[in-house]
Amino acid sequence: MTATEGSPERKRGKDKKDWEPRIVGFLCKWCSYAGADLAGTSRLQYPPNIRIVRVPCSGRVNPLFVLKCLVNGIDGVLVSGCHIGDCHYSEGNFYARRRFVILKRLLEYLGIDPRRFQMSWISASEGDKWARVVKELVEEIKQAGPNTEFRKGI
Amino acid sequence: MIDRIKKKAEELLRTKQVDLIIGYKRAPDGVSVAPVFIDKAEETKELIWDTYCVYNLSNYLKDFRGRKIGIIAKACDARSIIVLLQENQLKRKDIFIIGVECSGIVDEKKLLSISPQTSELGFDERCRSCKPSKPPIYDVLIVQEGQRPQAPRLEKDPYGSVRKSEAKSISEKFKLWQEEFSRCIRCYACRQICPLCYCPRCVADQTQPSWLSRAHSFRGNFTWNVTRAMHLAGRCIDCGECERACPVGIPLRDINKKIEKDVKELFNYEAGLSAEQKALLSCFDKNDPEDFIR
Repeated sequence: MTATEGSPERKRGKDKKDWEPRIVGFLCKWCSYAGADLAGTSRLQYPPNIRIVRVPCSGRVNPLFVLKCLVNGIDGVLVSGCHIGDCHYSEGNFYARRRFVILKRLLEYLGIDPRRFQMSWISASEGDKWARVVKELVEEIKQAGPNTEFRKGI
Repeated sequence: MIDRIKKKAEELLRTKQVDLIIGYKRAPDGVSVAPVFIDKAEETKELIWDTYCVYNLSNYLKDFRGRKIGIIAKACDARSIIVLLQENQLKRKDIFIIGVECSGIVDEKKLLSISPQTSELGFDERCRSCKPSKPPIYDVLIVQEGQRPQAPRLEKDPYGSVRKSEAKSISEKFKLWQEEFSRCIRCYACRQICPLCYCPRCVADQTQPSWLSRAHSFRGNFTWNVTRAMHLAGRCIDCGECERACPVGIPLRDINKKIEKDVKELFNYEAGLSAEQKALLSCFDKNDPEDFIR
């Protein structure tokens, strides 16, 4: 390692250039998770910035999950479930929809970039939609920049 | 008015219609008010009613489940009783609501700063956006005699201040709330005073899993305040007790109002108006808005 590489300026510049968003996705196991699986088995390319947490239903997702991610420095959170009417438990995504529209508006009111929390409906056959949504999401969050709001000492 | 309240309370206890009356009494300082729990008919003399009766007494109802309780309730208190009934936390037959007509209560902090020369009465902010003077639910209503000074109303838009804050930029909003939340000392007074925060074990007290950072940090304060607000979404009836109890003066009512406004706009729902309607987040509509979902 040369001296220039180790200097703070160089490091900061490098960090900024090389920064890749970290995104957490809460995916319902019946639709969106299977959709993401299909994207994989179909060899569709999409950015590797998303870490997936499988949940039984989008209705299982507690607003606390989203908050916990955001305050711990995750740059974006995606909650994804079955299309309305397709829920394995009939109505889980209806409840999720109500809950998260309130959370999304509240977070925006409190000064959290609305791009950092998003939702999607992706069915098990929509591998292409999954790849597209992740691509768009990564693009948007790259524009929003790193989530530094909750870093210590700031 | 107070005589009729006393008479009713005395009668309820004497005829054993209720085991206990929850009301207001004068605090030892001679000005402010303290809650009082009366189980003997002769002690009802202690009861008072004036504009200093700020507390939402419905907070105590959950401590006496299974007993017959008479409670003195203003319009806002009665609305929180409705939400408790809606959520099956109380049985209607167990409570006897002595509804009192209310023309607004005072803000004690405000009173200190008002000069005695002015005619302003120092009404609490919350009373300015409160519509009814009569409780929406009661077993007996004690009406006011004569004319009493009424808290000034916000005629135009009860959500004016929320709209103003909404129009700010994201970074401005963040800065503002960062400042507010950084003061939070996590005493949980907002939770303790809230009549609708009744979980036997609060998520903030859980350690496995530990959802909130327990350290003195902005992260933990932010998570706590958002969680508190989310848990009251579609339930808060804007009695304003959380903001009054907050020792560091975080404008909690502003957050509650924001959610109240969204809920009204999105779902045309208002909390605490009827015990028969279903709770907002435990029902849904096929046509709920979803323009934010991809």
